[in-house]
Amino acid sequence: MFQQPATRNFWISKIWLLAILSGYCHAAKADVDYIRDIKPILKSRCYACHGALTQKAGLRLDTVAMMHRGGDSGDVIQKSDSLLIERVTTKEKEDHMPPEGEGSPLSPVEVDKLRQWINAGASGPADEKPEPGVKDHWAFAPVHRPEIPQIRGNWPINNPIDAFLAKDFQARGLKPNDRADRLTLLRRLHFDMTGLPPTPDDIQRVSDMAGEKWLEEEVTRLLNSPRHGERWARHWMDIWRYSDWWGLGAEHRNSQKFIWHWRDWIVESLNADRPYDEMVRLQLAADELKPNDLGDLRATGYLARNYFLFNRNQWLDETVEHVSKSFLGITTNCAKCHDHKFDPIKQTDYYAMRAIFEPYMVRNEILPGQINAANDGIPRAYDARPDEPTYRYIRGSEANPDKSAVIAPGVPTFISGKNLELRPVQLPAEARHPGLRPHILDGLRKYQLLKQAEARAGLQKAVKQWQEASMAVIAGKPAKQDGPSPEKLALEKLLARVQAEKALQLADMEIPGIEARARADRAIVDNKEQSESVVKAAIEAERRVALAQAELKLATAELALVQGKAGKGGDLATARDKAQAEVNEARGKLGDTSGRHTRLVGAEHIPTKFLTSTAFDPFPGFPEKTTGRRMALANWITDRANPLPARVAVNHIWARHFGQPLVPTMFDFGRKGTPPENLELLDWLASELVASGWSMKHVHRLIVSSAAWQRQSSLAGRENEIARDPDNRYFWRWPGMRLESQAVRDSILALSGRLDFKMGGPPIPAGEQEKSVRRSLYFFHSNNDRNSFLTAFDEAMVKECYRREQSIVPQQALALSNSRLVFESAPALVAKIEAGMSDQKDSSAFIRRSFELLLGFVPSNEEIQLAREALGEFQNKAPSGKADETTARGRLVWALLNHNDFVTLR
Amino acid sequence: MSGNEMQFSDVISRRGFNKSLRGGLFSIALASLLQRDSRANESAWSPPDGLPHFAPKAKSVIWLFMNGGVSQVESFDPKPMLNKYSGKTIAETPFASVQDPKKLAIERLVVPDANGNQRNKIYPLQSGYKKYGQSGIELSDFFPHTGSQADKIAFVRSMWTTDSNHGAQTQFHSGRHQNDGDFPTLGAWVHYGLGSLNENLPQFISMGYREYWNLKDGHYLGPAHDAVPMRIDPKNPLDFGRPEGPITQAEQKAGLDLVQKLNRVRGRSYPADAALSARMASYELAYRMQMSVPEVVDFSRETAETKALYGMDRPESKDFGMQLLAARRLVERGVRFIQIQHGGGGAGSWDAHGGLKANHARNAQAVDQPCAGLIADLDRRGMLDSTIVVFATEFGRTPGTQGSDGRDHHIFGFSVWMAGGGIKGGTVHGATDELGFHAVENRHYVTDIHATILHQLGLDSRRLELPTRKRLEIDHGNVIREIIA
Repeated sequence: MFQQPATRNFWISKIWLLAILSGYCHAAKADVDYIRDIKPILKSRCYACHGALTQKAGLRLDTVAMMHRGGDSGDVIQKSDSLLIERVTTKEKEDHMPPEGEGSPLSPVEVDKLRQWINAGASGPADEKPEPGVKDHWAFAPVHRPEIPQIRGNWPINNPIDAFLAKDFQARGLKPNDRADRLTLLRRLHFDMTGLPPTPDDIQRVSDMAGEKWLEEEVTRLLNSPRHGERWARHWMDIWRYSDWWGLGAEHRNSQKFIWHWRDWIVESLNADRPYDEMVRLQLAADELKPNDLGDLRATGYLARNYFLFNRNQWLDETVEHVSKSFLGITTNCAKCHDHKFDPIKQTDYYAMRAIFEPYMVRNEILPGQINAANDGIPRAYDARPDEPTYRYIRGSEANPDKSAVIAPGVPTFISGKNLELRPVQLPAEARHPGLRPHILDGLRKYQLLKQAEARAGLQKAVKQWQEASMAVIAGKPAKQDGPSPEKLALEKLLARVQAEKALQLADMEIPGIEARARADRAIVDNKEQSESVVKAAIEAERRVALAQAELKLATAELALVQGKAGKGGDLATARDKAQAEVNEARGKLGDTSGRHTRLVGAEHIPTKFLTSTAFDPFPGFPEKTTGRRMALANWITDRANPLPARVAVNHIWARHFGQPLVPTMFDFGRKGTPPENLELLDWLASELVASGWSMKHVHRLIVSSAAWQRQSSLAGRENEIARDPDNRYFWRWPGMRLESQAVRDSILALSGRLDFKMGGPPIPAGEQEKSVRRSLYFFHSNNDRNSFLTAFDEAMVKECYRREQSIVPQQALALSNSRLVFESAPALVAKIEAGMSDQKDSSAFIRRSFELLLGFVPSNEEIQLAREALGEFQNKAPSGKADETTARGRLVWALLNHNDFVTLR
Repeated sequence: MSGNEMQFSDVISRRGFNKSLRGGLFSIALASLLQRDSRANESAWSPPDGLPHFAPKAKSVIWLFMNGGVSQVESFDPKPMLNKYSGKTIAETPFASVQDPKKLAIERLVVPDANGNQRNKIYPLQSGYKKYGQSGIELSDFFPHTGSQADKIAFVRSMWTTDSNHGAQTQFHSGRHQNDGDFPTLGAWVHYGLGSLNENLPQFISMGYREYWNLKDGHYLGPAHDAVPMRIDPKNPLDFGRPEGPITQAEQKAGLDLVQKLNRVRGRSYPADAALSARMASYELAYRMQMSVPEVVDFSRETAETKALYGMDRPESKDFGMQLLAARRLVERGVRFIQIQHGGGGAGSWDAHGGLKANHARNAQAVDQPCAGLIADLDRRGMLDSTIVVFATEFGRTPGTQGSDGRDHHIFGFSVWMAGGGIKGGTVHGATDELGFHAVENRHYVTDIHATILHQLGLDSRRLELPTRKRLEIDHGNVIREIIA
């Protein structure tokens, strides 16, 4: 049927598989083993309600003894009359287990196994331990700073990290790898700390240094480099879900147009080593904690990014899920539809978390130098809907809210034993009336000064033109062919001059108008009693501006009438009359100071379309108070009594130094997650993080100073360790890793000296990326737009990326061997390599240097020989016959960029 | 065996892999498995080994998807009652109960909008219809060529979904409503679950136009399981598919030979490095891919008769015809899953809110001949038995009229078809009511199509599930056994 040889293998494999499967089934029938066959069924299907977490009907199924003890109805595994079998097989809907909606029925095979086991006497191990309780779960227990083991071994103990790991080495008969060589470590360190390779100067400087002091100095240097913040910002942007905006065509639907301000805040904060806990607090609640600090308001981009034009549920679901996963390492999202099956998180807890965020929406803060947020602004969170109720959705269905009770904001209290300390925050005047911010008045004034200057120049020009036209009439010049008569032209120019005068009058009015409004804005805030006269003055100033506007409009209408230019609104005379009426009306209102003045605008709400896709929802206004819910959450998360955030943070940091985390389930530290092999190490690092004032740079330094981080990655001669710990769970070697997408691209640019080190600012749009030499961090990166080169190397997914993939796929080979980036960089790379050579003609020296720079190791003679041969071949194979050495070197460099070790850290 | 190889095979036997699978793509799979494996948190769980779970009937899938929503009544489920009650409101017909709010409650909105509403006034059929083939299946006159293949096709007339806006496009691929987040698509699951049939070609390819909310496939399975986009352009069919700088093929070969030699030398210092072996294999594969893919979309050796069979001789069906011919050539060369989406622009070119007659006539002319040609061509080459062809769309269209001459989105009942790969031809399965409003017999949610395809490929979706990603019952769907031969 199939012709391809591949398919033949396919069928052979299938037969092989079937043989194994049938063999297995046969074995299973003969002998049912409790631990192997029964316990996994009960664990996955029953423990959630009948285990340590919950004991519905007083029943636990997590030990044989407890099954015999039974629940409200007694023993459930009696040999002839098992209640357990009855309940999983009954046709009665009310009695059937698992209940409807809580999981599918057990399969006949599973039921059969249970029955066999019970009929055979339901035996289990004598020393069977019940499922650990929630209180016993490692991640929910308080972080106690563990004592540092006093250990001696035949390997270096640089700091307590090594002491904790050494315990496992001794216990498991492992001998750690030796320290990596200097060049390997230097490359590893530079990529780790900055995401860039060492430069020729770096290599020179370090190789000239005696002793091992170089590493410490290099660490200090790199931690102080602005490149460090860029590198680690990208890691945290993965975890915190950075995304530029996306939508349908030009319609903004997700994230924020100017979200990059948040990215810049992350970079700057990391470079300044701002405490991790402070960063968490500011991202969740800078608007409540520092409402007047535009710099730190950028942090709430973390929340502004979750904006979704059309649907509040999707927006808040993502918010609750990822606040929980990124800061706490818990999967509250599992409790959206039902109580959590593994952790004590009730469905109502999920909605209590949602209630914390229910009031928040997004607005753009107008920046200094801008008059609105059309082209730039700081997207930030604010509580716009403090009274919006949160309801539990029955089985998670948004169509089915339980309106019998409004859910109050709250958190799963089992985590730290504390609840939210809620108190609303009265906002400073500038937060609720952002037009009060001094830069708003400054910006408008500067803008109007420019307009005024333009109007003045316009008037000069108009006067001059009118003078020329009237001179022409006086001089009796004839009309131009097909042109208007000099008299008509002069009349037009006269009216144009009037128009220009009115324009200048308006411009002259605008600045005092804005200033009067600003004074009134301030007066209302400062002193309500005495503000009346100032407000009146502002109203009067606005009336004058309105009159000037009307007069300008009238002048424009009159000019149009004389010119005979057709306007949009029908005939010109009517338009003129209408304009005249408006002038009259505006003049009539001059003395009228009733009503309110128009406040200066300092921020723009980002509107939503929750109600209908065809119109924006009403603007909720900027409230005087903020609920304080997010601030309470931020404080609760970063409270020292909360055992999770420091553990979660150091696990993320460790994972990016080693390419392998301590807790494999990075966003799930709950009972379904995988515990760390070395909890003491995790806890010691967590306590170091907290004790250092949450300094991430402190933890970075600790980790890279450890012998563990400095080990070789090679498996050569490590048969014993491979056999005992094949997955390197005990870190007897540094695992080795593939560079992330950004590091691959950036290093090509850096090595060739083309990298532009400019920091921050708006992202590079997709269309300009191929030619851009900025760091990849600054590329426009959204759900829609991902750079195709970066995509090949497992670009971060914006919806969720707690850990980058390190796949090896042919698209990577195509990108590195075919992309314009590589071809364009190769000649510059050659020049860069040759620049530091004493004898540029020396091919072997060129090859050695290329290996050191691009691949981070000194080539063997064999490798040099292979490269030399290739150089010759490139010269001979060139299309032009014989290529020069430089071209051939370009080819060699191109080839080395495709070497495995270019994208690999050893 | 060298020590190096011993360690490598150690790893392999530890993972329980058959030795005969070593080398080539297996190494690549291995590297990513090692990575994935280290994340697994249940010893009982292991990542897929690339083998089917049970005897497969089919090996490849050609997934044709019509963007925007094809009217069921003007395609594969004609309803004469619409002509009879033309111009009447639904309430005035004997079928007023179709608008019972309880029956409409399955709808889940992202946001209420001007579309997706109930349309009350019955709009008559915009095409004639007649019986086709020995099976006598009634189809719209817009699809005469599909009709010519009716005896090889199973029509499922009882589909339903829940998103009444175009998020339904994603929903048909992933099985989940947009409000729930992003989930892997069917193609990604197949790619994740099954090994390669041809080491020279990507195993999951997409062509045509995808809406912005439906651009990716792998999601939590990882970007390695995204479809590889392909273009019908022999000069440049893949991203980075040819050098973007001046280099000859000989130079390129020499360079890549050097790289492999150097990698091999490096492997002595880093023995048992699965990533290194995988990278070397990936370079061989990439090189072969670069050489092979242009050939797939080079139709110069196809006959004029074949090209005409795919409608490539007519401008209206040429583009889609070329994609389908490429699909056949990909299947021939052992590609697992080819996803082709038809009709870009607006929210999908089939989205006939107005001018339905002209819209569907035009779109049907673009796809009808190519689809029929594909089935006929696969059949005569003996490939149809092992290739599933699916013709799906995001939802149907309302029996009532929108504006004066359109139909709105309709999630309650619509049609898709499948052919080949062990699917029973000449079959009609399921039915809508007299107005084509609700699926009333053998109702099927979109994941039932997934389940049926996976079943034919020999996969059990429950065994692919990741321990950290609990799937819902409805995500797995139910196999439509009635359409399996």
